[in-house]
Parts: sequence; structure tokens; C-alpha cells
Amino acid sequence: MTIKLYDFELSGNCYKLRLLMSILKVPYEVVPVDFYPGREHRADWFLELNPFGQLPVLQDGEETLSDSGAILVYLARKYDRSGRWFPDDPATMAEILRWHAVGDDLTSTVSAARLVLGMFYDFDLEKAQKGAHRIFRIMDEHLWFGEKDGRDWLCRPAHPTTADIACFPYVMLSEEADVSRQDYPALRRWTDRVRRIPGFTVMSGIFPAGPAREAQAAS
Amino acid sequence: MLPCDDGFMKPDKLIDPVTRDLWQVIAATDEVPVGAVETTLLLDAPIALTRDEQGQPVVWLRTVEEAGDEIDADEIVERLPVLVRYGYIWTSLGKPPTDIFPIPEYAEPDRKNMSCGSIGVNVSAPRAVENFLDMGHFPYVHTDILGAEPHTEVKEYDVEVSEERDEVLATRCRFFQPRAALSATEGIEVEYVYRVPHPFCSVLYKSCPEDESRRDVIAIFLQPMTQDRCRAHLLQSMVDSVSTITELRRFQQTIFGQDKPILENQMPRRLPLDPRAETPIRADTSAIAYRRWLSRKGIAYGVIPQAG
Amino acid sequence: MTLSIDDARWHPIASSDDLPFRHVFHGQLLGRELAVWRADDGNVNIWENRCLHRGVRLSIGINEGGELKCQYHGWRYANRSAGCTYIPAHPADAPARRIQNRTYPVREAFGLVWSAPSENAAFPDLPRAEDRAWLPLRPMPVNAAPEDVAAGLAKALDAEGPHGLTVRAGDAVYFVQPVDSGRSVIRGLVSDPTTDTIPLLREKNRTLAKLRDRLERSAARKPAPAPLQPTYEKVSAELATMPDIAVPHGGTMIVVVKRKWQTARGVTGFELADRSGSHLPTFQPGAHIDVHLPTGLVRQYSITNGPGELLSYVIGVKREEVSKGGSHALADTVREGDLLTISEPRNNFPLRRDATRTLLVAAGIGITPILSMARFLDKSDLPYELHYFVRDADTAAFRDRLDVLRGKVTVHDALARDAIRQTIGEALGRWSFAQHVYICGPGSMLEMVRALAAGLDWPDEAVHFEYFKNDRVIDDSSSFEVELARSAMTLQVPAGKTILEVMREAGVTVLSSCEQGACGTCMTTVIEGEVDHQDVYLNESEKRANKAIMTCVSRAKSARLVLDI
Repeated sequence: MTIKLYDFELSGNCYKLRLLMSILKVPYEVVPVDFYPGREHRADWFLELNPFGQLPVLQDGEETLSDSGAILVYLARKYDRSGRWFPDDPATMAEILRWHAVGDDLTSTVSAARLVLGMFYDFDLEKAQKGAHRIFRIMDEHLWFGEKDGRDWLCRPAHPTTADIACFPYVMLSEEADVSRQDYPALRRWTDRVRRIPGFTVMSGIFPAGPAREAQAAS
Repeated sequence: MLPCDDGFMKPDKLIDPVTRDLWQVIAATDEVPVGAVETTLLLDAPIALTRDEQGQPVVWLRTVEEAGDEIDADEIVERLPVLVRYGYIWTSLGKPPTDIFPIPEYAEPDRKNMSCGSIGVNVSAPRAVENFLDMGHFPYVHTDILGAEPHTEVKEYDVEVSEERDEVLATRCRFFQPRAALSATEGIEVEYVYRVPHPFCSVLYKSCPEDESRRDVIAIFLQPMTQDRCRAHLLQSMVDSVSTITELRRFQQTIFGQDKPILENQMPRRLPLDPRAETPIRADTSAIAYRRWLSRKGIAYGVIPQAG
Repeated sequence: MTLSIDDARWHPIASSDDLPFRHVFHGQLLGRELAVWRADDGNVNIWENRCLHRGVRLSIGINEGGELKCQYHGWRYANRSAGCTYIPAHPADAPARRIQNRTYPVREAFGLVWSAPSENAAFPDLPRAEDRAWLPLRPMPVNAAPEDVAAGLAKALDAEGPHGLTVRAGDAVYFVQPVDSGRSVIRGLVSDPTTDTIPLLREKNRTLAKLRDRLERSAARKPAPAPLQPTYEKVSAELATMPDIAVPHGGTMIVVVKRKWQTARGVTGFELADRSGSHLPTFQPGAHIDVHLPTGLVRQYSITNGPGELLSYVIGVKREEVSKGGSHALADTVREGDLLTISEPRNNFPLRRDATRTLLVAAGIGITPILSMARFLDKSDLPYELHYFVRDADTAAFRDRLDVLRGKVTVHDALARDAIRQTIGEALGRWSFAQHVYICGPGSMLEMVRALAAGLDWPDEAVHFEYFKNDRVIDDSSSFEVELARSAMTLQVPAGKTILEVMREAGVTVLSSCEQGACGTCMTTVIEGEVDHQDVYLNESEKRANKAIMTCVSRAKSARLVLDI
């Protein structure tokens, strides 16, 4: 049975799942949910799927799952035969889940500010933007020292993990929250690297990067 | 020299008389619940709107004290003019004409008419109109949907400014598209007609995959919130018996969501009307006509007028 | 010290490490936003962060290695010159050369990238800079006024100064980059670092982060300064209209022969460079230059370069057995170090980059424009196939450059005419949508390919070639009147005589060279009247524009022509 993704195109959290399924070449079917302007995530039928009224929801056979970070782990464990997107090592797992939490913090900052500016939600814009900059500063420092140490990704493995997927969308969508990335050059370079992962796909608001050195050399 | 920064003209909040007297879109009617008060910004002015018990919109200039929810629409005395057209509420800060531009197709009984959301964009309304008229960006911004490299050519098309209807009209616009509409399955050369019947609104007609004799209508109505920020209201009037409203909305939001990062990276945010501000090419014939038309009308809001 | 937008000094704007392979860095100096990118040849470009077409930030564009591609409409801008080389909306046209982004001076030193509003200011002196190793610290952006940051830095480090925006403290030097009136980046350098640099970098980073927090707290207590107000320069009046009517200006320049070598039997390679080491003007694939020979003749040679290669032009010259003196003069008498006058590049053989398949066919010296085309397509990962026909294997020129291409490149040597015909026929195949073929070689080769292509349903507009010689039969049967506006003279041009001849008979001095409508030397601006173009110098859009005439062959369709002479 095909995986069903209850999805809103402009949601960064939904995009996390589309992105990982595209990279892992997992076929799925989209069930569009009219989050805006239709507010269908508050409709009874949707609350049956997820009482928290949040997108995305993923159905795989008997399983109905919600929370993008949790679903990322599910997809990686179930469909990534290489085992690299969510490896077994306990310390690495903890590290990845730590960055999943940063991904959630980006939702409550970048995504909140984006909803205020783009869809006129009633959140505290200034607080959300300040919070976003605080996270970006920490990420930029982490990634800058990572580069010096030969680490390209958020976590210790030499391969990207679900942590990178969990943080990527709302970093890339930050301009829609009026949060510029100009002061975070290492963060900008990391977004290039994520966009060069084979199987990468875009969403509205995110453009692809140019080809990487590997692609140049290989072809 | 042109100012880089849009703050250059501030605190100039003067609204030119042409803009002041226009009808301006402020909300999709269905998205304003009866009894609830919504607030928004129009031409730097804070305004409030609600619908009375009969469902009729009531719009007024908001003063600081007014909290919102406790307001009873019947008590509002100083009301702004109101017009309901194409599923949207329109108002004006000046003396508007009796009606707005026609979109006759909207009344055809078998069409699926829908709002596709009102989306805030950090760019002036005229920049957003100009982007709506542009085909050259399809392969780069709407990749694999409205265009794809290497099919990048913008063929010659016709542009006229209709004196009688006072609108810019671009016809015979053709572009090779891998997936022009939700109901399209393979690449075709799509033909478009673009109208700019209002300084901040544009309507496009495109070949309909389901019925060759008819055309789908997509309109963008821009609500100028400030000189360099607007709210885009998207209307679709489709001949499509298969797709659901949710699917059609998703398609249009996908497209506009792709335009948004481009629009928000344009500098300056206001549209420069000086011909030497930017570099037009033949593909930009409609944009050139639009800029001249705005200049001639004396529109000064959301633009950098030509000096002298 | 007050910060001024006219501050002419050099400031660091990035670390060298901020510019990895195919990245575009988003920078800012004194309020001006910058798009900063390193080309594959190592050159660093600092440009105004704004595409000249519609004002979109170039920092969201794509670094293609030799060109930067704008994200909005795919316009390409060349490494070094920032000149526009391709406009995808009009793939068949060569863009007007003068669409050129604003560029800023660049220096790379001590692991930092520096810029200034102009080249005039002296580059800052670091004492004993050259005999030390420098380690750049992690840049520290601070939301505070640059002068406050510099003062706070000096105080915190217990150092003298600041000197302008520079603070020296022990083995370290700190430069405060004035991003805007209320924004700065501290860029520090440590000299002679120890082998284990990461702990040192972390320690310095901690110190600077603490300082940043302090400076930002105190900046938040003051009113925010008004951002600087940089201005955008207007584009030229010529560009404000439609660029396809840009008429060539006939400008020339002097270049030095940097290298001369035998690239194949009978073919000499010349590398021509600016005398002061600056880059040369932007060119597009398929472009050529006119070379003014010591003998007074003017000859056209195609540029073989790839995208963004503007430090020199490389041309190939075949030593013809029968020659009017062109190739002999170049190949035999011009030596390395000699100076030559050349024209700015012109393009009558533009390459479309919107093909699903591009077939490149070259014969003999015809490889020169085809090589440039292949190198552009190669860099952009566009599909192409190159067939190069030579008489003998050792006459195949520029083999080293062909060998590094990643597309399908085949050198065919010593094929009989029938075999050539068969090879090209197979390569062409039946035409399908968005396929294009480019041919450069002797006239007989062009005719063969054109005939083969026509037989395989290739439409005329998909078959591209260039004439260096005007083989057309000139129709000189018309008679008309020519008014020379500046000379205040009206002349009658009878059938059988050229405008050039009539002008000379009347005592007007006019320069000319090939006198067959191929070199552009006699080009004259048209003020009034309709031109009957018979030259091969102007391209189709330039001819349509009716703004210039080659007086050696072209005539008038109208009864009267008014020329700007």
C-alpha cells in the first residue's frame, strides 16, 4: 500500500517529509489539506487523524503518524537501508534528536514570524524574529567550527542525518520571516550542501543550488 | 541616481489622488466571518472590517482605541465605501468610481471560482503586478511546472494600451510549458492573454486543457499595505470538472509561493519608473507598457516616479 | 570618526574560506550589498548585489564556475567583467555587450577578501605582513556602529587605538568591517599560529562573542543610526531602450602577444592580453575579434575561450597557402611581446543555450568558434556533441583544450568526402524540436551540412553558420542620393559604384579594409533613409535596426540616405 502524506505545499514541516522521501526514493501519494485559507487542519476529519490539528500526518499501512520529527525517524529507520540517516549509535541518536528539537524551535520562531508576515497570524513578530536570529547564531558557529574540523553536517557522522532535514526548511524560508541569513555565512554554505544531496527536491520558496564538485567530476 | 533603499522617500505617506480614488481589495468575502472584526493595512492606513448580520461588509478607518472584537458593526458611522466583486471586498480611501473592471467569465455558471488565500509579500504592489505579467521567469522560478530549461524563449507578442478601457493588454503571448495547469499532463505551448485593468490588479487568460474553446482565468489583486509591502489576493475561475477546490488552490499557492522569494529579493522594493533604472529586453514589452501607463496616470504609490 | 558612504579605504568583507567551490557569498560594505563569488579559475568577483534586468539579488543566483546565473531569468554574467553573456528569453540573439554589472575592486590577502569603493586608495599595510603566516578568526557580526565596535574592541583588549577601524593587540590584528551605520563584522587575524589552531580559534571566538553581546547591549540603549543610503547608478541611455538595437561602436584596443605557439601543423595559437594585466571585454561563444595586421589589413579571428576567461583571448591562425597576406603576416612576423590592435569582440554566430541537443561541426581552422561554444556548453552541463574534421591527425588544433571536455567529442582525420557526408548525416539524424547545429569550416563544408540538414527536415533557423568572407553577389544596380550630414555634401551614387567610392571621389576620407562587407571598418551611422544591407558584418537584428551601414557594399532602398559623416 502506498504511503499517504497529508500535506500543505507551503508548510516547511510537510516539506521535511517530502524531502526525505525524495532522497530515499520512497514513493508516496499526497493528500492535499487546505491549511490556508480553508483551515482544514481544524476540520473534524483531520482532527480524527491528529487531535493536535497539526500537519503533516503520514499513513503507512496501519500506521497513522504525526509530528514531522517523529516521522523523519520512522522513515529513516524503515526505508533507509544504508542506516545512515538515523544511525544506531546511542550518542549519535541523542545528537540527532537534539537537533530535531532545534528544528521545532525553528518552527516556533522562523515559521511563526513567516505566518505573521505571510498569512497574518497573530503571533509576537519581534520575539519570533529575535529567537530565530539567536538560533542562527548558534548554528552558524557550530557549522563554522564543523568546517574547520572537517564536519559538513549538523551531527558527527560523515553523512547527513535526519537532523539536517529537520532544520533545513525553516532556515531556507527565513527570508519570508524577514530574517536575513547575511550574517551567517557558514549556515548559508550548509544550505548549499543540503541542496546538493542526491535526490534533493524543492518546495515553493526554496531554489536548488548549482551542481557540486562531485557531480562535475563524475559526469 | 536612484535611491537603493525604499526608506528614501519616508516619511512621505502622501497618497497620490489617482491611487486614493481607486477601489482597493482588502479581503476575500468568505474569509471574514459574520460578526468578527478583522484588521489590516491599506495605503498605510489601519482599517477594520466586519460583516453585519446580513453578511454585508462594513469597513472603517481604525482608531487606536478600538480593540476589535467588541465592536458592533451597526454602531460604525464613519464607513468607507464598500463593493463586493469576484468574491472579494473592495474599499476606497477616496471617491471611487461606481464599479470596478469587468471579468465577465466569473459569472459563467459552470466555472469553479475560488479565492486562493491572501498572502503578504515584502514588495510593492506594482512589482508584484509586473512579475505576474512576466513569462521569461517561468523556467527558472516555476521549474517543471510553467516552464523548464532549455525552453526559455519568449516569443514576440502584442501589447496595446486600450484607451477606451484604460487598460494594458498583452495578447498572443506563448510559452512552452511542461505542466501548465493541474489538468495538463504533457508539455504544450500555452497561449496567454494578460490584462492590467487597474494599477494594482492583473487578470490572465490561458488556454484551458479541458475545453479548447474556453480559457481559464487567474487574477491577482494586490492590496497596497505600504509603499513597499502588499498583500496578494489570488482568484481562480477555472473550467475544470475534475480537480477539487483544495487541489486547485494548492496549484496556485505553489506557483505564488515560488514567486515570493524572488519578489522579496528585488531591490528597490518599489517599482522604478525611470526608464534608465533597469534594463528591459523585448520580452519585457508588457512591463514597459505597464510602467509607462502608471507614469502617465500619475501613480506615485509603490513606485519611484521618474524625476522631472 | 564618522562613517561615510564615501569612505574610500579598503576593508575586509569576507574570509577566503567564505568562498568555497561554486558558492555565492552575500556581503555588504558601507550599506552597499555585495554578491561575492569565486570562479573556478580562482578569481574573486565582488559585484553590486543586483541584476541589472529587474533588480533581483545576485546572491541568490547560481555560481556556474565561469559565469553567475541570475535566479529570476537565468541571465549569465561573466567572471571578471560582470558583462552579460546570455539572455535566455532571446536565445538566438547575442546580448548587447554593454549590459554590465557594477563591480568593486578586489584584493585577497592574509586569508581575507578586501574591497573598496575604488582602486585609488592605498592597500593597508600590515607590519611585517609578508613574512608571517596569518590565521583568520571566525568573523563576528555585531549589531552596533563600526566606530563603537572598534573603540570597544580596543578597550576590551587593552590595546592602543583604535587606528581608524583597526585594532592591534599582541599577535592579533582586528579589522572592523563597516557593514552599515549600525552593523559591523569583526575580522581578526592571528599571526604565526600554533599547529593546533582549533582551540585558539575557539578561545578567540569566545572572547569576541562576549564583546559582541556587550556592544549590542549598549547599542540597544542608543537610538539606532539611520542606515546609509547608497544609490544605484542608472544604466546607459542605450540600455534603457531595447538592447538588440545596440550598434557596434567599432572601438579598438591594443593588446600584447603573451604567447605564440604551434597548436597543430599549420596552425599557430596566439594568446592576446591587456598590457596592464586587466581583463579584456566580455565576449560570447561564437564571437570574433578583428585583428589589425602590420600590413594594414584587417582580419577576423574567432575567440576560442571558455566562459569567464577574460584575462586573454586565444585565437588560432591557419597559415594559408594562398592568402592576401593576412595569415602570413600574423604567423610569420608577429612575435611574443609584440603589440597588436584588435577590435572589441563581436558576435555574428551566437550560441543558443536552449537546445535539447546541440551538434557542433568543425572542419580545419573552423574549430576556433566551435571550441568556445563547446566549452560554454560543457561548463553549464548542457548536452552537446562535437565533430571535428581534419585532413591529418597532426593538423587538429587545440587538442589539449578538446581533451578536457566532458561531452562527446570526436576528431575525424583523413576521411573521404563520402565518409564525411555519412558521419555528419548520422550525427544530424532526423530533426526534432529544440535541436540546433553549428557549423564552421570551408564553404563547401557549410553547403554539405546545409543540404544534409535540409534533407533531414532541419529548418533553416536550426542550422547556424558564419561567413568570414562575403560570398554573396553584390547587387549594385540601384542608384540613389547620399547626404553627408557633417560634411554638408550631397552626392549621387549611380549603379555600379559603391557609396565608398563615390565619397572618395568627392574627396571625403573614409577608412576601409576588406571592401567586401566583412570587416566593419567602413561602418557609418545612418541618420535617415532605409538601408539595403549586403554585408555579412552586421547581424540580423542590427540590420533590422537600420542604424549603421557598410558603405563598401550596402546601398539604399530609399531614394535618399543621410549618413553621419
